[in-house]
Amino acid sequence: MATHQKKESLMPIEGVWDLTIATPVGRIKPVVELRRNGMEFTGVAHGSGEEVPLRDIVVDGDRITWKQAVTKPLRLNLTFAVTVEGDALTGTSKAGRLPASKVTGRRQVTGTD
Amino acid sequence: MHVQIVLFDGFDPIDVVAPYEVLYAGGTASGGAVTVELVSAEGPRDVVSGTGGLMLRATGTLDPARPGLVLVPGASGRVGEPGEVPDIDADAGGASEWRQDEFIPVLLGRTLTTELPGLLKAVMDNPRITMAAVCGGSLVLAMAGLIEGRNATTHHLGLDMLEATGVHAVHARVVDDGDLVTGAGVTSGLDLGLYLLEREIGPRVAHAVEELFAHERRGTVWRALGPMPAAL
Repeated sequence: MATHQKKESLMPIEGVWDLTIATPVGRIKPVVELRRNGMEFTGVAHGSGEEVPLRDIVVDGDRITWKQAVTKPLRLNLTFAVTVEGDALTGTSKAGRLPASKVTGRRQVTGTD
Repeated sequence: MHVQIVLFDGFDPIDVVAPYEVLYAGGTASGGAVTVELVSAEGPRDVVSGTGGLMLRATGTLDPARPGLVLVPGASGRVGEPGEVPDIDADAGGASEWRQDEFIPVLLGRTLTTELPGLLKAVMDNPRITMAAVCGGSLVLAMAGLIEGRNATTHHLGLDMLEATGVHAVHARVVDDGDLVTGAGVTSGLDLGLYLLEREIGPRVAHAVEELFAHERRGTVWRALGPMPAAL
């Protein structure tokens, strides 16, 4: 969960995000919560009754990358690279050597500070 | 040794029938040291394969308390394009409608919405059962999170997916990881069956079946032993 911020982001990335991730067995829809404490970011993902920590979070302006070990509904190690624009987020998730697939996200209006 | 081969909707018939016949013949050649049964998570039922609607009948329910061997086949259907992602919710895989020539990962993923992963976990937890899988069967175990960190193989088109689940994917025809023995694509089920006969019953019985079936196993059975090979 080590975090690193290369460049101050222009818009807040912290908050609760509803993600849609394309995987070879279908879409999975985790809820990702990104928290900020000064320059430090931490996060957890909730989905299908599990909660997993986000690892290696790197924030570079509006671009965020992190790693997530999904266990439900299927076990999959994912690496994310997304860009935040207002309350929307777009980018890719990559499962190992499989081709990267699309990720979209929307910030929950409630649930943020 | 009692062998339970697990049927699920969309299974690949060769993945089931190849080890079934090899192990059944091993039973005959050994005077009954091997018995083989087709089972499902739901109990006795006709189970439709992924190939042209061909059906096989499960005669029992997968019993994770019964010592011996449990073998999980893969699925057959459409291979798809590299990077193809289906337009369905993974959680709702079981609810999506049955159709022929379904995308193979969808068929494998759909097992996760059935009773199967829970039963397979109990199988993995039973030290008196060896788990075996052919082709996409390894992915059923892997996607259920049951073989993380283990050495296993699967169909060559599924090796990247296997690795992405946290399994050490080995590109070999048969991989022996102790209580987990896996085979690669489709026809490797013959080799897996013959290897299991050799390991569990003996090489003379395995050889007799090999001779009858006119099929010689090929390649090295990979095990995590010996020095790590340097780059060749």
